[in-house]
Amino acid sequence: MGSVLIIEDDSEIRGMLETMVRRSGFSVQTAKDGFEGVQSFRRNPSDVVITDIVMPEKEGLETILELREDYPGVKIIAISGGGRHDAKNYLQSAKDFGADYIFDKPFRPKEIIAAIKELLK
Amino acid sequence: MNYLHKIRKYFGSSLFPSDSEMRFHAVTLSFIGESKEYETQFLKDYFNKSLLQVRISLVLAIFFFGIFAVLDAILVSELRTTFWIIRAVVLVPGVLLLLLSYNPIFEKYWQAAISALIFFAGLGIVYMTIISSEGIVSYTYYTGLILIFIFCYALMRVRFIWATIACWSIVISYEIAAIWLTDTPTIYIISNNSFFISANIIGMFVSYSIESYLRREFFLARMLEDEQIKVIKIKDELEIRVEERTSQLVHTNKELLLEIETREKVEKEQARLEAQLYQAQKMETIGTLAGGIAHDFNNILTPILGYTEMALDETKKESPVKSDLEQIYKAANRAKNLVQQILTFSKQQDQDIKPIELHIVLDEVLTLLRASLPSTTKINQKDPLAKGVILADPTQIHQVIMNISINAFQSMEESGGILEIALERFVIDRDNAIPDTTLPKGNYFKLIISDTGAGMDKNIKERIFEPFYTKRKIGEGTGLGLSVVHGIVTGCNGGITVDSSPGEGTTFTIYFPEYEKGIAKSESLSTRLTKGKEHILFVDDDKEITTMAQRMLTHVGYMVTTMTDSVKAFKTFQKQPDIYDLVITDQIMPNMTGSQLATEIRQIKPDIKIIIITGYSDSINAEKVKELGFNGFIIKPLILRDLCTTIRNVIEIE
Repeated sequence: MGSVLIIEDDSEIRGMLETMVRRSGFSVQTAKDGFEGVQSFRRNPSDVVITDIVMPEKEGLETILELREDYPGVKIIAISGGGRHDAKNYLQSAKDFGADYIFDKPFRPKEIIAAIKELLK
Repeated sequence: MNYLHKIRKYFGSSLFPSDSEMRFHAVTLSFIGESKEYETQFLKDYFNKSLLQVRISLVLAIFFFGIFAVLDAILVSELRTTFWIIRAVVLVPGVLLLLLSYNPIFEKYWQAAISALIFFAGLGIVYMTIISSEGIVSYTYYTGLILIFIFCYALMRVRFIWATIACWSIVISYEIAAIWLTDTPTIYIISNNSFFISANIIGMFVSYSIESYLRREFFLARMLEDEQIKVIKIKDELEIRVEERTSQLVHTNKELLLEIETREKVEKEQARLEAQLYQAQKMETIGTLAGGIAHDFNNILTPILGYTEMALDETKKESPVKSDLEQIYKAANRAKNLVQQILTFSKQQDQDIKPIELHIVLDEVLTLLRASLPSTTKINQKDPLAKGVILADPTQIHQVIMNISINAFQSMEESGGILEIALERFVIDRDNAIPDTTLPKGNYFKLIISDTGAGMDKNIKERIFEPFYTKRKIGEGTGLGLSVVHGIVTGCNGGITVDSSPGEGTTFTIYFPEYEKGIAKSESLSTRLTKGKEHILFVDDDKEITTMAQRMLTHVGYMVTTMTDSVKAFKTFQKQPDIYDLVITDQIMPNMTGSQLATEIRQIKPDIKIIIITGYSDSINAEKVKELGFNGFIIKPLILRDLCTTIRNVIEIE
């Protein structure tokens, strides 16, 4: 089917994403921040990366930049609750940095799954 | 006071009181020393007061002096001619003097002239007594001299000094005549002299007292006058000072009143501004707080919604758990919407601020409102709507008008009523002129939305813009509607005021600053919605969006079939592909995306027009739409005008 890397600092959302992606038949690996996420991607590249934007250590925008640079073919979905500021500004930046899809929280699992499927076509 | 004291002293003491200030010569009686200046005035006054008496006395004197001519004829018939000549010599100047008294020159010489006349009259009598030398004349005519003395001292108003000289000259001439020119017996001389001298002394006393009395009276009158002048002057000065002081007081009073008024005004204004500042700070604090909480809530809601949705997928239709999960899902979605509203209120949501024509947005909302209006209420639009441009997010302005209108409908739900909407130009001529706002002066558009509903009292009115404040029962509304409106309006640098009282309906007045630069022609929205009659298949997995789209598109004339499931939508299309002229589909949908659906549909009916709806988050864009061979795309949120325009463009392209 395909593999998905989930980078998200909120353990509940990370768990939910993992559950729903796995249930849709993809293989999943997770990371709790961008630093860990990039490391894990280098070890074992995934087809799609789902990343949060506001995170400790290495935040989402930097993660996207780094992945895009080293792996131009990687598909990226960015998600954000916008921290305490404007979610759409972050997401717009994420899109500008190379995210294929962006979703603000709360998102619908079906939308994400549909986006993954679209990206893996 | 000094003067009154003097008067009292004068009237209360002797006839000739010594007066420390009034000085006159003891013999001539002329004013001297400090009083000297009064002499001329006194003489003038004395002349004026005496003139009538002088004339009467002259007439009397002429009459008697003439009548005694009869006596001459009886007593000295042989000398009567001489006597008459003598009388004539005196009478003629006497008459002349009387006539002269009517000439101004008389004033200058009257004392001397009258004195001379008297002296000559006396001399005439003396001469008569001499030439008659003996007999009765010489013994009786001397009494004529007594009469002359009386005239001279008392009647003719001859001044003391002149009278004394005239009369004593007569006496002396008599002495000369009696002693040296005639042989008057000594006994006669002695007796006559006794009468003459005593008469003279009495006359002198009379004359002296009359003149001194008159002088004193004059002096006092003058002093009185002087004092009066001084008093009048002081009074005038006092009056002027009182007037000045009064006008000063009036002025001061006016200034004081003005100051009080100004201060009251300033205090009031200050209190108003403080209240406004307080309100603004409160709103901002609540906004920040709410905004922060909202983002956390989004994170919390993500797993709730996500897991519920996944659980729903895994649950069989007949399972009792399914409806429970649906309830959770519904509630969580309400929470999600609430968070969206909080973000709007706290202005932390993305805005698409651009120049827009307010009247067009208003027109559009009115069209929508009319379509969904309960039968009990009516919309009354005041024509014409003012035309012009403001800077705002059209979706948000949409939301503002909708929110207020929906509130209005709700307040008129039971009894029905009229929703009145007006849009006019408005000039605010000074800063902070509109209460409850902090609008600077300038050109504005004034949007007035009023209803004839239940209205509200002051307490409610003060709080309606606060988030979470609601009149509705728990569960009926979030209480965010008007706070969102407030957030949007102030976000556009506008202001909103509310006027309401119980039973009288409510009026919201919204001020939007005019965007003076206007609008680029290409950005301008056509004033009318483009309508059509085609059959549209509208697909979106969000039920709310399909409902809204159906309402909007039906309103402008289209026939609309809506579907929320892309797979079902495909099947529906497959059954009757020829009845549809256009397919509008959302891109991101479960099971089958919009572009997948469109591709499948194209295989059945290659010439079908396709419009893809994309969220801002989707990777699909104009180029990709073209690449895939679709006809158009629309970015969410759906705006009726954009939708209509795109539909027309797509349908009319061959």
